[in-house]
Amino acid sequence: MLPRVADSLSFLYLDMVRVVQDDTGVCAQIQTPDHRTDLVYIPTAALSCLLLGPGVSITTPALTTLARHGTSVVCVGAGGVRAYAAVLPDSLTTNWLEQQVATWADPARRLDVAIRMYGMRFQDDKLPQTVTLDQLRGMEGQRMKALYKILAQQHGIGRFRRNYHPDQWHAQDPVNLALSAANTCLYGIVHAALLALGVSPALGFVHAGTQHAFVYDIADLYKAEITLPLAFALHQSTNPEQEARRRFREDLRLLRLLPRIVQDVLALLTPARTDAPGADADTESRSERRDVEMVHLWDPKAGVLPAGVNYASGGD
Amino acid sequence: MPSMLVIATTAVPDHLRGALSRWTSEVVPGIFVGTVSARVRDQLWQAVTETVGNGAAVLVHPAPTEQGYAIRTAGTRRRVPIDFDGLTLIRMTATPQVKSEQSPP
Repeated sequence: MLPRVADSLSFLYLDMVRVVQDDTGVCAQIQTPDHRTDLVYIPTAALSCLLLGPGVSITTPALTTLARHGTSVVCVGAGGVRAYAAVLPDSLTTNWLEQQVATWADPARRLDVAIRMYGMRFQDDKLPQTVTLDQLRGMEGQRMKALYKILAQQHGIGRFRRNYHPDQWHAQDPVNLALSAANTCLYGIVHAALLALGVSPALGFVHAGTQHAFVYDIADLYKAEITLPLAFALHQSTNPEQEARRRFREDLRLLRLLPRIVQDVLALLTPARTDAPGADADTESRSERRDVEMVHLWDPKAGVLPAGVNYASGGD
Repeated sequence: MPSMLVIATTAVPDHLRGALSRWTSEVVPGIFVGTVSARVRDQLWQAVTETVGNGAAVLVHPAPTEQGYAIRTAGTRRRVPIDFDGLTLIRMTATPQVKSEQSPP
C-alpha cells in the first residue's frame, strides 16, 4: 500500500473532454474543430490523482476502473482552482481511519496533534513546553506575515496582500493567481494521499467544519516551503496558473512530496511513544492482520475478534 | 554517464539503419536498443531527424521527469506526444472521416 501511493505519478488535469472506458483502457476523447475525435489513453494504475475540470463527462465504467486501481478522482474548477468532490477508492484498511478518529475524539490527544503540526510548520524545536494553541496561532500568523514580507522584498514587489476572490478571478495579480493554483494542486495531492491511506479528509485537528478540514491541516505544513516561494517566483509570468502547475510538478519530483505526506500523516496519527513500548508493535501487527482478514468484529473487552464465526454458545 | 535508449523507426532509409546499428542492436526490425552517452544520443537523434524523410521515428530515453523518461519524435505519425502540465501522454489523432463526407448509398 504505502510504496504504491508514494511511487505513482502525482496528478493529471483534464478539461473539455469525454472520459470513457473502451476495449483497451480508460481514454479521454478530444473533439477537434473539424469533428474528429482524438484519443489520449490515461495510465490509470500509475496515477494517484485525476483532476476533472469543467466540461468533462465521465462514464461509470471509466470511474469503476479508476476506483479499482485506487486512483482518487477529484472534481475541480477551471485550472484546478477549487476542489468540489472526490470519489473514494474501495478496498482499504480502516486502521488509520480508526486511529484518526480515536485521536480526534480525545481532546488531549487532539491538542497534542495540533501542537505537533504547528511545531512542524515552524521547523524548529524551540517551542516552550507549556505553549497554548492560542499562542501558537498567533506565532504562526506572525511567521506568515514575515515570510510574505521577505519574499516580496526578494522579488522586488512593493507590497503583497493575499487575496482570494473566485468571483473576480482574472483581476488578481500573478502572485495571488499562482498561489491559488499551486495551493489547489497541493490540496489535490494531499487529498489523494489521505484518501489512499483511508483516513477522513473531513476530520481536521486545527481546521474544522468542512469536508476538507484535514486536507487543509496537512497542506498547511508545506505551504511556506513549497507553494509560497513558487508563487512569488512567478510574479512576472503571463500565464501564472499553468506555469504554477508545471513548476509544482517539477517540485513534486524534487521534493518527493507524496511519500513525505504519507509519512507525516502516519507520524501525526501515531500516538507519542510515552506509554507502553509494546503499544506500537501491537498496532503494527494488528494492521497487518487486518489487511489479510479485512473484516472484524469489535468487542470492548476482547478487542478485535474474527468475523464470520458463529459465537452462539450452547445448543447445537 | 551512459543510459539506455530505444529508437523505433518506420520506413527510414537503409543507411540510417546502418548508422543506428553501429551504436545499438536492432532487436526486432526497426527497433534499436542501446546504452550510450547523452552526447552520442543527441548525435544519433540528429542523424535520424535529418534523414527521416517520409518515414517516422521515435526516441525514448531516461530523463529526470516525474515519469522517468522523455519522448522525442521525428516525421509524422498518428500518435503525437502531448504535454499535460508536465506529464507526457500520447494523443491518437483520428483519421479523417471520409465515409461521413460521402453521400449515402
